[in-house]
Amino acid sequence: MASYFRRKKITFWPCGFRISGDTIVLAAVYGPKAGSKKNESPEKASIEVLWKPKSGQIGKAEREYEMILTRTLQSIFLSTIHPNTTTSVIIQVMHDDGALLPCAINAACAALVDAGIPLKSLAVAICCGITESGSIILDPTKQEEQEMPAFAYLVFPNSSLAVLPGTPPLIEGEPVEHGIITSVTHGAMSVDDYFDCLDRGRVASAKLSEFLRKNLAQSQIPNHSSKAS
Amino acid sequence: MEQRLANIWRMSVNEKKFIENALLSDHRVDGRRPFDYRRLSLKFGSDDGTAEVQLGQTHVMGFVTAQLVQPYRDRPNEGTFSIFTEFSPMADPSFEPGRPGEAAVELGRIIDRGLRESRAVDMESLCVLAGKLVWAIRVDLHILDNGGNLVDAANIAAVAALLTFRRPECSLGGEDTQSVIIHQPEVIDPTYKEEIIMGGRMTVTMNTNEDVCAIQKPGGQGVKQSEIMRCLRLASQKATDITDKIKKAVEAYDLERAQRKIRRHSSSSAQAACGADIKMSKQVVDVTQKKIDGFKIQSKDPMNQEEVESDTDLENSNTRGENNSFQQVDEIHGKMKSVNLFTGRPSSWHPYGKGITSLSTCTSSVALSAPRAMEAEKKDTVALERPNESKLEKPSVEATVDDSHTKEMSASVQQVNQKKSLKDAVKVKSRKKKKVASTMVGE
Repeated sequence: MASYFRRKKITFWPCGFRISGDTIVLAAVYGPKAGSKKNESPEKASIEVLWKPKSGQIGKAEREYEMILTRTLQSIFLSTIHPNTTTSVIIQVMHDDGALLPCAINAACAALVDAGIPLKSLAVAICCGITESGSIILDPTKQEEQEMPAFAYLVFPNSSLAVLPGTPPLIEGEPVEHGIITSVTHGAMSVDDYFDCLDRGRVASAKLSEFLRKNLAQSQIPNHSSKAS
Repeated sequence: MEQRLANIWRMSVNEKKFIENALLSDHRVDGRRPFDYRRLSLKFGSDDGTAEVQLGQTHVMGFVTAQLVQPYRDRPNEGTFSIFTEFSPMADPSFEPGRPGEAAVELGRIIDRGLRESRAVDMESLCVLAGKLVWAIRVDLHILDNGGNLVDAANIAAVAALLTFRRPECSLGGEDTQSVIIHQPEVIDPTYKEEIIMGGRMTVTMNTNEDVCAIQKPGGQGVKQSEIMRCLRLASQKATDITDKIKKAVEAYDLERAQRKIRRHSSSSAQAACGADIKMSKQVVDVTQKKIDGFKIQSKDPMNQEEVESDTDLENSNTRGENNSFQQVDEIHGKMKSVNLFTGRPSSWHPYGKGITSLSTCTSSVALSAPRAMEAEKKDTVALERPNESKLEKPSVEATVDDSHTKEMSASVQQVNQKKSLKDAVKVKSRKKKKVASTMVGE
């Protein structure tokens, strides 16, 4: 337990890499800590998310984000390794310029990896929007989000499959797991549009996860400074 | 309950003894001398009023936002100012989410008192409509990392964020705080581990005029009078140091922000570049005049405020504040319009900028600022600064020269209006402004 009780901080930008108006989210992970939450079973580890907005009181929107994030992370978290513990993920919004939730999910995932918490796979989140003209754009800014009739936040798992069931979908020549972990949509879009979004999102998430893996691998090497007890 | 205790990180007795013994022989674990501060780094966000302070390992972010609210009944002319401190659980595993603990409340109170007592924020200038609408400034401080000495870092973050905050009409000046920690050996700016073993602490809030704004010594070890005096002297030294650092950082940020705007102005199309001005010229002339009045007058003040800051000329700032509120009470309609206009583009207003778009007033704004610098030494720095600003302004001025007839129309309208507005300013404002107006008329 002592070896995990570390705290890491990751700042994360969305895949847009814009120079001005970036969405910036800071994620910190503490855990596993002793004790599980009240309603949770002590047979498994639980994960707790705290969402801190930039300014203002904590309201319903923040609670919703926390809930979505908790459920998303629970699906990649291994809850059987250390039962009766809690891992806290704290998200601090530094700047919001669109695609806030995907940014936070990516940041939380990176923070978990950096803290050394074992995970099933990486969760990679993207934001996909449908403009009035019917074209699909990835990673919209806040202004674009407000003007679009519909957009969706999609979270994909990112793990290569060891056992291949039938003919698995190939992305860049490697068999990857197919499916969505989380999908949050705003506005109305047709079913075809939604599937289009999924396809584009899948490809984009592959690129994003490449970037994530590369950076995390690089940062692990000289990284031994931590507030370990 | 036991689970929460189990999560608190405890220091071993060996480590405690080691740090104590080291301090007794004037050695600090991180190699600093007893009265050395850690390296201070100040970064600003892309929005106005966001500041990030790193004092060694301690990391604090300050955000300033403003909202229009009803004022208190007994103070209808003053805006409100409140500080919210968030001890985020990401800073320390012992910080629990939910209700703020004692330490958080105490920190909030120290900073609040420091800024309020030193009159760092001019409350009267926050008034929009006496008795009906005032600005409520809210400072959110997020503690992101606890490496010791949160009070100082949080205070610097609050001051820096306030200094760079721009609401549509006015900017704010600031003072500075010092935290002097006393242990058997005295030590300044303790780290996390030093804080754990310390016996008592004292926080002194001073401004750069060497006035003590507030002192907080909550219990702990008793201290001799002579030691307290020594701490106060030390605090005043450090206060000037830190204020200098903050000012330099804020100036660099302001310059960068002005450059960003000018680049945007000259590169974008004619219409877009002077969007705000064209909108203004389309409106009724007297409303335009009022708005320019407001901005011209207001823009003088922050310039003066920044110049005069380090002298903490409280009377001056108060009279200016009053004058502002008069102006505002008179031209309420114009102000409201301008408020609405600028919610979309708050960054289009900045203290050096109002004279940019009109041609001849560019030079006059330069002349304006020079005589307003009352102090001799300030004049030099101002004169140095102003040529820089005017150089920056010139490219955009040239861009506007090349533009269409309508632009020149609006420019001349503004020019005429500005001349008018300064004369009006003479009547309302104090004699200082008369001096300015006379030089203006002379040109």
